[in-house]
Amino acid sequence: MMRTIEVLIVIIIITGAFIGASFFAVLPWPRQVSPVNLRRLSFTTLQVLDSDYDLSIAAFDIENDTLWSELQIALSASLPPNVVYNLTVFEVGSSTGGAELYNNLITISNTDSLGSTSDASSYLAASSNVTFNVVPEKIGEESGEGTLYILNCSDANGWWITGYTAQSLAEDLYQLLSPYFVDAIMVQNTAELGTILGGTPLHGETLENAVIINTFGEAVPIPTAYCTWPYSENSYAHYSYFLGQKVNEYNWTWASIVGYPFYYVSNKAAFSGTQNSWGIYGMQCTGGSGAIAFLRGLDNQAYSTSGSAVTDSADRQAALTQVAIEACNYYGIYPSVYQTSTRALSDSIRATYHLTVGLHIFNPVLDGYNVYNPGTIYNHVFDGSSTITGSLLALGLTRTPDIRLTGIGLLSYYQPRLYRSEYTSYGTSRLVVLQLGLVGAV
Amino acid sequence: MVSSTIDHMIAITVFLAATLLFVGLFNQTIQTAVIYQHHRATATKASDLLDNMLLSPGIPLRWGQNDSLPTSFGLQDPEFTQYRTSAFSLMRLNSATGTSVFYPKTGETYSNITIGDKNFLLVSQTSSLNYTTALDLLGIRNQYGFQLTFTPIVTVSVTDDFDTGHLRLSVDAYGTGFPLANAHVSYCLVSVGLTGGAEGHPAYTIDYGNATTNGQGSVTLEFTGITSSSSYSFIAYVHLGGLVGVGYCEHVSSEAEYVIPLVGSVSNGTILIAHSFDIESSDPPSSEVKYNASLVYLAEDFTLREMPLENSYGHVNSGDGSPYEVVNIPTDNPGILIITYKKSAVEGGLVMMPWGVSSLAFPVVFGGDPSSQEWVATDMRQVIVGGVTYQATLALWSLEGYQVVG
Repeated sequence: MMRTIEVLIVIIIITGAFIGASFFAVLPWPRQVSPVNLRRLSFTTLQVLDSDYDLSIAAFDIENDTLWSELQIALSASLPPNVVYNLTVFEVGSSTGGAELYNNLITISNTDSLGSTSDASSYLAASSNVTFNVVPEKIGEESGEGTLYILNCSDANGWWITGYTAQSLAEDLYQLLSPYFVDAIMVQNTAELGTILGGTPLHGETLENAVIINTFGEAVPIPTAYCTWPYSENSYAHYSYFLGQKVNEYNWTWASIVGYPFYYVSNKAAFSGTQNSWGIYGMQCTGGSGAIAFLRGLDNQAYSTSGSAVTDSADRQAALTQVAIEACNYYGIYPSVYQTSTRALSDSIRATYHLTVGLHIFNPVLDGYNVYNPGTIYNHVFDGSSTITGSLLALGLTRTPDIRLTGIGLLSYYQPRLYRSEYTSYGTSRLVVLQLGLVGAV
Repeated sequence: MVSSTIDHMIAITVFLAATLLFVGLFNQTIQTAVIYQHHRATATKASDLLDNMLLSPGIPLRWGQNDSLPTSFGLQDPEFTQYRTSAFSLMRLNSATGTSVFYPKTGETYSNITIGDKNFLLVSQTSSLNYTTALDLLGIRNQYGFQLTFTPIVTVSVTDDFDTGHLRLSVDAYGTGFPLANAHVSYCLVSVGLTGGAEGHPAYTIDYGNATTNGQGSVTLEFTGITSSSSYSFIAYVHLGGLVGVGYCEHVSSEAEYVIPLVGSVSNGTILIAHSFDIESSDPPSSEVKYNASLVYLAEDFTLREMPLENSYGHVNSGDGSPYEVVNIPTDNPGILIITYKKSAVEGGLVMMPWGVSSLAFPVVFGGDPSSQEWVATDMRQVIVGGVTYQATLALWSLEGYQVVG
């Protein structure tokens, strides 16, 4: 009998333990187990309300009953029926001691109580005198590359850039494109150009995969050190061949902004007594063999200038491609859609020099059986390979150059993103807090 | 001695019974708590996964606007930050609700996001992202299943009547919890002219206008030149305080034979114009249907603009030897392709297709079926798709199993 009594005592103890454990082990409500993320819902609701700046306008016009009525209707309409809200606008100020003060300006709500489950998000509404800030993605920032060289050589002259100097074009290009590159470097003289061609960075930047924009039009600056044999061969066509080799070696993108590419070389000191037959001294005419030599160098072919000219000389109307037009809208750069081309490259160079079309900036023009490309980025790809080994952006348009076309061409090709919706308040700002609660069953 | 033995036997029996009982009780409590923890983990995963989908554009960034499959899943509009979703990425999701359509002339099956009678969105399945691939890209295959739903926050219903002898349209706008009172309405009415088009093709005229809803979120519009024998479509954008919704309706004089647009290539904007008999497998004989296509899009000031199309008109027929026609949409911005068609001098109509789901506020349902799952966690966000406000809801369930009771 004693044993039975002992067992009953044990049962009483275990029962007490179970009741005690059950008392403390309170299971959460189902709503707490799988909650709707009210904080995120609140934040995204505020973003939706401010998508057309209605919330910001209302936050700075709290006396406007019409605006606040519309906002309240929109808020009520956007939330599920079982979600109640309380929206409060605070003015952010500071006390004489410097501490931040939040003054409650206005509150709208559709409930007296937000229930047992609620959460809130805040949103900083900026007044209309804020600066809209667009942050561009940097080309090559993920790969550690992304260098832009703009030729701004003070000791060289340009041609077919009538009305401009190469330096003014370089400055405009810098302002236009430097936000999109990790490093944007102005190459100030031909000696610095020689340094780059020698494989040495100017400021620790990455040489490989860089973009080089030649702002000198049909002329190419040549360092004094290269004004000698063998580069002087065929009126310095060999220098263009050398440039092609370097573009291939470092996978550069060489941009020719106007006219016949590689038609002249320029160095004010070395060619001080030579003019381009149009009265511009410091230049040496290479002629059509410059482009041929460049392409042969790009394709790692043996040096030669033989072959027919690769550039057309007829007047043709060129129209921006749809890709380029959309890039105009995206980046907010609006050159004329229609341009006149007088130095379009023949499409036949693609087969001869292993080039593929990276991007047509202008639609190709058909003339009989011949196809001409008024503006195209060519990628050099060896047979059997998928790796790009050098590129050429050739805008065969007539003078005067529009550097926005070069900008659109490069931006269309690389497609850096614009982060538009970040904006920073430089003036007053107001804090909008939206607290949401759930009503109904648990 | 005997009584002591009996006492022992009773005590042990009672003790063992009590022990088993309490082990069961404690076990049940622990199991319930474990299940709750699993459910909690699923809910947290749902919230994280929804943010991952909505706050990443995927790789490549503009996969929604080309025909290749992404290598990373994300639906954010690559031109924006935060909760703005690409109308084209959504268009490329294989619909979980629409019955897919087979078009024999291309030999392809098309994902069907069609809403209503004459509003088509059929995207080639070779261009569509299916559920299994999405699970792989998200890294949750065999772990979780999900259903992702995009529903317009603002519902705009448009009903027509001819009680007054001419067209009278009633536009009603309401949100998820409240009518959209005093909202601004921008609309366009596309009316079909069966005569007067180039080379005998149907012509169309587009009239634009603005209105405001009353306190009940309604507005009535009257068009005196349109009668019950007319063919027209009406599109209305309703906006208020950042909320934007779309409503539409069509009325056609002939539904027997018409054209059906199919998205052949997203990257090229290639739209195939097919004869309805080829898709609905109706028996011949059919007659030729002439068409005339136009694209309208919503400008930033909430007005609708027309964009001209090249090769916008042609004719199609059903059966072998009658190829489909092609229209190219020259923009990556959302718009509405409106195709007027004409079977005879008195029979015709029009069909619409959104270019990007948002332009006609098509809802999107993508993923598996949650109805048979033991526990489904849901979470939601308010997002903007092509300027139109949507509610994105993710339903997530675990596939690994944690049913430890019973």
